[in-house]
Amino acid sequence: MKVVTWILRIASIATFVYMAFLVYTILDPNDFWHWDAPYNFVVTVYRMLSLIVFFLASTMVNGLASAFAGGVLPDNLIVGLYNTLVLRTWYMQPYGLTGPLTNIQEVWTSFQMNLNSVLFSLFDNTFLFLYFLCAGIGVVLFLQSLVRMDHKFVGGAFLSIQAIIILAAFRSLIVPDITPFPADFVEFLITEGQILALVSFAYLEVSYQMIYSYSVGKPVEDREETLKKQLLALRQATRKQDAIERGDKVSTTGMSRSTGATAFSFLREAIERKVVGSQSALESLDAVSDVRRLQIYVDELLQTDSRARDELTAKAAAPSSSYVIGSTITGSAIRFLTVVAVSFILMSPNVIRMLLNLPIGIEDSVEMLQPEIVVLFLVPVVGLFPFAAAVISWMSRREVVEKEKLTKEEKEAQKQRQKELARKRKEAEQARRARAKARKKRKGDEVEVDEWDKALDDAFKR
Amino acid sequence: MITQRGFVVVFAGVLLLTSGFSFINFYLVLLGVYCVIGLVVTLPLFALTANLAGIEVDRQIDKVKVFSGDFLRVRVTIRNASRRHFDFIEVHDQYPETWILAIGENFMASRIEPGSSMTFSYILQARMRGRYYLGPTEVILRDRLGLHYYKRTLKEQTEVLVYPTWKDVRRLESFAKQRQLGLMFGAHRTKTVGMGTDFAGFREYVPGDEFRLIDWKSSAKRGDMVVKQWEQEKNVQIICMVDTSGSMGNGYPENTKLEYAIRAAVLLTHMGIERKDLVGTCVFSDIVHGYVPPGTRPNHMYNVLEVLAMAEPQGWSDYETAISHVVTQTKKRSLVIWLTDLERSPAPLLNAMKTLVANGHKSLVISPFGPWFEAPVGQFGPVEKVLSEAVSEELWERRNKIARALSRFGINVINVGPEDFLPTIIRSYEQAKQRGVAMF
Repeated sequence: MKVVTWILRIASIATFVYMAFLVYTILDPNDFWHWDAPYNFVVTVYRMLSLIVFFLASTMVNGLASAFAGGVLPDNLIVGLYNTLVLRTWYMQPYGLTGPLTNIQEVWTSFQMNLNSVLFSLFDNTFLFLYFLCAGIGVVLFLQSLVRMDHKFVGGAFLSIQAIIILAAFRSLIVPDITPFPADFVEFLITEGQILALVSFAYLEVSYQMIYSYSVGKPVEDREETLKKQLLALRQATRKQDAIERGDKVSTTGMSRSTGATAFSFLREAIERKVVGSQSALESLDAVSDVRRLQIYVDELLQTDSRARDELTAKAAAPSSSYVIGSTITGSAIRFLTVVAVSFILMSPNVIRMLLNLPIGIEDSVEMLQPEIVVLFLVPVVGLFPFAAAVISWMSRREVVEKEKLTKEEKEAQKQRQKELARKRKEAEQARRARAKARKKRKGDEVEVDEWDKALDDAFKR
Repeated sequence: MITQRGFVVVFAGVLLLTSGFSFINFYLVLLGVYCVIGLVVTLPLFALTANLAGIEVDRQIDKVKVFSGDFLRVRVTIRNASRRHFDFIEVHDQYPETWILAIGENFMASRIEPGSSMTFSYILQARMRGRYYLGPTEVILRDRLGLHYYKRTLKEQTEVLVYPTWKDVRRLESFAKQRQLGLMFGAHRTKTVGMGTDFAGFREYVPGDEFRLIDWKSSAKRGDMVVKQWEQEKNVQIICMVDTSGSMGNGYPENTKLEYAIRAAVLLTHMGIERKDLVGTCVFSDIVHGYVPPGTRPNHMYNVLEVLAMAEPQGWSDYETAISHVVTQTKKRSLVIWLTDLERSPAPLLNAMKTLVANGHKSLVISPFGPWFEAPVGQFGPVEKVLSEAVSEELWERRNKIARALSRFGINVINVGPEDFLPTIIRSYEQAKQRGVAMF
């Protein structure tokens, strides 16, 4: 299965690279792939912050100074010196200001003038930065998906790359588009936007197949690996106990800790009972005895049953690679062709028009040229597939109603147990009643106090 | 059913569609349509192939009765009885919560072809006695891309009876082995002078002695009539009354009063069988749950273990019902050892003892003292500490009064904690043997 996974991994890399390349080339005429965009964004953010801090610092210092000076604003020389020496020394004077601003009015005017231009610049730079950010996230998630084999990374990588186009569309830049939507299927297939859409969908499909191939073979491999580790850890623990009993010095290495006992919950539990537990000798004895007995049990099992190891690893359950390759190719091809064909029918207003023989008014309406037309058929078609699945499930009676399955003997035994319990309860109740009745009668007849009752009375009176 | 990753695809599709509508872009709309159609297009095909009813699960175990702490191999076979393959099948076989997965995994995921089967196994350690069930088995079928799934829980269960732990007996045997001379070495033997083959000694002749017992040679030497005495080894008969009322279930899990009482009963029965004594067991609360009369049959130990395995702390202690049941079934004089926490009203206990004594039996009460089995006082805060001490004192006073009342009739009450429960039962048994209580 590893070979199949590697083939699909390479296919996934190829489709992702091609998808990214297409996005890059299609958006390139917009001239926004400047590599200094992230730097410019950071610089613009810093400019805006420095402008705000300068404005606030100057205003606050002037305000405080005037408060101390009896309501008189400080001298221009002082303000200029403060702005030049103090704020510039601490890199708080905004960029773009050449001369020192010598009074508070100048600071305010400069702030109003500069803030608008900085904000506009920031708006532009933010989008340039976001294209790079999306691309970066996309690449990182894609690389993660190759290693971690998780659907969320594949989905994340796909959406991040598509998000670049969504952002560019928002800015009304040149983005891949299929306008007017072709009525000819072959023409539709070779349009630039369609190729990008196909490659993007192929990336999703291939990556999901890659994860399937990995996850279908992985449990068996993991089981084998886990079993090896567990048996090794068990052997090591038994040897260590033997060494301790012989009085040899036992050293614990980092290696043995990482691959041995800690990888094995049963052994860990046994060790914890010994080390962290109540420290009593009997507890230690139990933990040691459990490990040793497990070792003996496993040894016996592996010796007496030749299939035991294969069953523990579930080796026979590993799927054959040829089956997986064959079904991957056929499954993907069918899905691909179906999706493209169904989507073309849904997207193309001309096909719909021909199919439904719509009146001329609707044919010529501007709505036929709008993308929203797709909703008209998309919703019922999308609903049709789950409906068909539900009908198939219902027809083939898939919903198995599970019942507690007991054999005749088990049912009989259960009934017998309940009957026996009821009988015992009834008998006990009857006996209790009879005893109470007898005691009541005796109390009436007896004058002399029973010595047992007396003993009890004496004991509880004291 | 759509999986979580299926919903991610739906989200992507809807995002692309709405973006396409907003920015009038057919590329985004097309990609959105691809995502949505790609999600649902294989759904009918998956429904057609994923026939959950075609899955059969068979579970096999090595033994149906095991001791607590023993290991058990569970083999699970999944068979695809349908005519279609399943791209991805996950099987989770469930086991009791208190048990420990020792080796292997109780989970399997793979692809399964029509008519074929796959087998996996795992090893469990059975913990805590009782009746347990392995299963149910959860089967999940997914499509290749993991977008849809069907789930089925197969409720076939496998019953396993877990006997009380055998570790105390193992420990006892390991100590005996260290002594080289076996378990019997050093143990007291109950002997009666009279009939028998072992020579016991001489005594003076008293009128009424049989002439054949006179040892003429010794009489001639001593010049007085001397009778030769013989002795015979006798065995004792013990009945262990295990109280399983609700209060006996108090304490740390696996270390409750009831668990100790059961371990004590197992140990006592084993020692009795080893020394050819008759030991019976009665498990009771408000009714008699099980009674195994004293015996020496080969499967006597297993009968006792089975009765003890089923014991659950519930109900209240009806000593009178329990003892009337035992007395009617036991004709010989016996030593009745009660393993009860004495937390019920003392009057019924005294009535039960009265019945016992009246029928010629001897009795001894080994009583686990509740507070000693619960959380150590050191773990409490100041308020809880004071409260627990007050409760302990009251309980102690109460059981002292019961002990005083019982001592008038020669019935001892021994208070025990977790540490001295098992030593006490061994000591009591040895003393009974030594004194020759309840011989038969």
